[in-house]
Amino acid sequence: MSIIMMMEIFSLDFIHPSAFYLIGGLLIPVLKGRVRQGYMLLMALLAFFAVLSMPHGTYGIYEFLSWELTFCSVDKLSKVFAYIFTIMGVIGVIYSMHVKNDGEQLAAFYYVGGSLGVTLAGDFLSFFLFWELMAFSSVFLVWYRKSNSSVNTGFRYLLWHVAGGLILFAGIILQYSISGDLTVQFLPFHGWWPTDLQSLASFLILIGLIVNAAVPPFGAWLPDAYPAATVTGAVFMSAFTTKTAVYALIRICAGSEILIVLGVVMAIYGVVYAVLENDARRLLAYHIISQVGYMVAGVGLGTQMAINGVVAHAFCHILYKSLLFMGTGSVLYVTGTAKLTELGGLYKTMPRTMIYTIIGGLSISAFPLFSGFVSKSITVAAFGEAHLTWAFLALMLASAGTFLHTGLKVPYFIWFGKDQGIKAKEPPWNMELAMIIGSLFCIGLGVFYKPLYALLPYPVHFEPYTAYHTWETLQVLLFTQLGFFLLLKKLWCKNTISLDTDWFPRKCAKAVIWFVNKPLVSLEYNIVGEAYEFIIQKPIMRVAVYLKKIDTVVVDGTINGVGRLAMAWSRKIKEAQSGQIQHYAMLMVAGVIAVIIIVLVLP
Amino acid sequence: MKLLEIIEVLRTKKVKRIAYGVLILLIIVDFIIPRHEIHFFGDEIRGFWSLFGFIACVLIIVVSKWIGSRGIMQDEHYYDDGDI
Repeated sequence: MSIIMMMEIFSLDFIHPSAFYLIGGLLIPVLKGRVRQGYMLLMALLAFFAVLSMPHGTYGIYEFLSWELTFCSVDKLSKVFAYIFTIMGVIGVIYSMHVKNDGEQLAAFYYVGGSLGVTLAGDFLSFFLFWELMAFSSVFLVWYRKSNSSVNTGFRYLLWHVAGGLILFAGIILQYSISGDLTVQFLPFHGWWPTDLQSLASFLILIGLIVNAAVPPFGAWLPDAYPAATVTGAVFMSAFTTKTAVYALIRICAGSEILIVLGVVMAIYGVVYAVLENDARRLLAYHIISQVGYMVAGVGLGTQMAINGVVAHAFCHILYKSLLFMGTGSVLYVTGTAKLTELGGLYKTMPRTMIYTIIGGLSISAFPLFSGFVSKSITVAAFGEAHLTWAFLALMLASAGTFLHTGLKVPYFIWFGKDQGIKAKEPPWNMELAMIIGSLFCIGLGVFYKPLYALLPYPVHFEPYTAYHTWETLQVLLFTQLGFFLLLKKLWCKNTISLDTDWFPRKCAKAVIWFVNKPLVSLEYNIVGEAYEFIIQKPIMRVAVYLKKIDTVVVDGTINGVGRLAMAWSRKIKEAQSGQIQHYAMLMVAGVIAVIIIVLVLP
Repeated sequence: MKLLEIIEVLRTKKVKRIAYGVLILLIIVDFIIPRHEIHFFGDEIRGFWSLFGFIACVLIIVVSKWIGSRGIMQDEHYYDDGDI
């Protein structure tokens, strides 16, 4: 392999897969056309092979000031996430190959590199560094959309992540001050609120992590930013931020009971908002929240079976969700809109894109023979085995909702529904190729699930294709479909947006600005200004008048006196000046003679 | 184009009738499928998951629409005036 050759040439024990994205990516702006496309694909593939060749263990340790930064802490858990992130990197690079904006490509590269860095980080400092790198690189994927609202949306996205990052950092600092240890380790949070310093540290870290996992009420940034991102940017974003957070939650917070409740609420919440949503990509964004809800709940349960389910689901989720974003992104790319009210009847012009999107929809809905079926069912069954019936039923309910929207509503209103007579065609070859690869993964994993199960962190004792389980799923899904077609009239979208928890910060910010502009300014001008004049300005003026008198009489008097003296002297000196060169020369000679005489006469 | 023809065939009334047939078959077969992983009472009721799927779908649509009509759904330009 070329990678082993490279390692021998540079006499390295290993190459961090992020290096291909973070250092390799630097050449992107220099290269052009096909060379750049090939180079980007090569880097993404090399990163995958770098993960493949990474041995388990802890290495890549560097001294930084008085800390040890551990860049490679590899075990089964980090490796399976590194695999899926690098696979997604390859798919994303293929999908975005045609993009000419090198800044956008670079942002995506740094974003992927950041998530790999987080996954492999062994200490909290490098973990945090890569965590922030993800936020600050992905925001460019929003900004490069260059629409009227992109700048504002990007800043809102950044504010959420900076706030979350700071809370995380506070937790890390507190943890360090308690234990003196910065190793990324298991710090579960038990209970509902912190009771002592240690649980406060765990709590802060948990909050920091769930901001990135888009757990309500901190998840509003996701449906705000993802539909506002570029066509290709949203494909990357759908894969990395939330799943990196899920990885971190497994690593640090597994078994924190609060996550069960949050996760189940999240799964339902995403489904409810998806009913109301008109923008196809925002609808999918809400379904990310819903799907990540399964994972968060599974992390909260924390049993080996649940964790296996979470990891498997994260793996499959990245593939089918990116496929869905690629499908709707293609529609946006070709037609210029992703709004369901403006789309319809595209099956005549974009049938292949429709099939890829439906494959993604069937996978997310956990249809038998598609990837979601072999992964989601592990987590849900783990809840059944734990006899948490309320959570089990709520997750089943959310499953029905997932199929209702992603499997039925999105394809129906884009490709069938009311024919809007939009002129469309299939997307460019590279976008289609990426969708084909994604589709193959979705079906492949649904049929040949054993290799995936072998990658999971714990041994798997679960068989998805039992007669009853298959039948149970088919009944739920197909009767959901019946409900969909019976209630189709109710599902026609309106051109609306839905208010989310970001209403509070957004409206509060507006209120603060209004408060500053109106009451605060008039208070400042009318009351503080007046008071200033009476209390400060007038006494100062009075003092100034006295000072001026002192200045005129004493200081000026002195200076004038000195000045007059100087003028008198200079008048005297002026009389001695003739302005003729021979006089000066004579004076100089006389001076020299005088010096010589003095030197000779004096002993 | 072949793909298009297949899609057109799938949109006919005949396919719809077959789909209803499949639904009925689903419930019938549920009476003979062996139960092995019984987690709660619903697993023992025949056709439970069919009813669950249908009610879940209706509930999600009706309840969400109701929540949406309580002020959650707003005009697209809701945030636009002097947005920050």
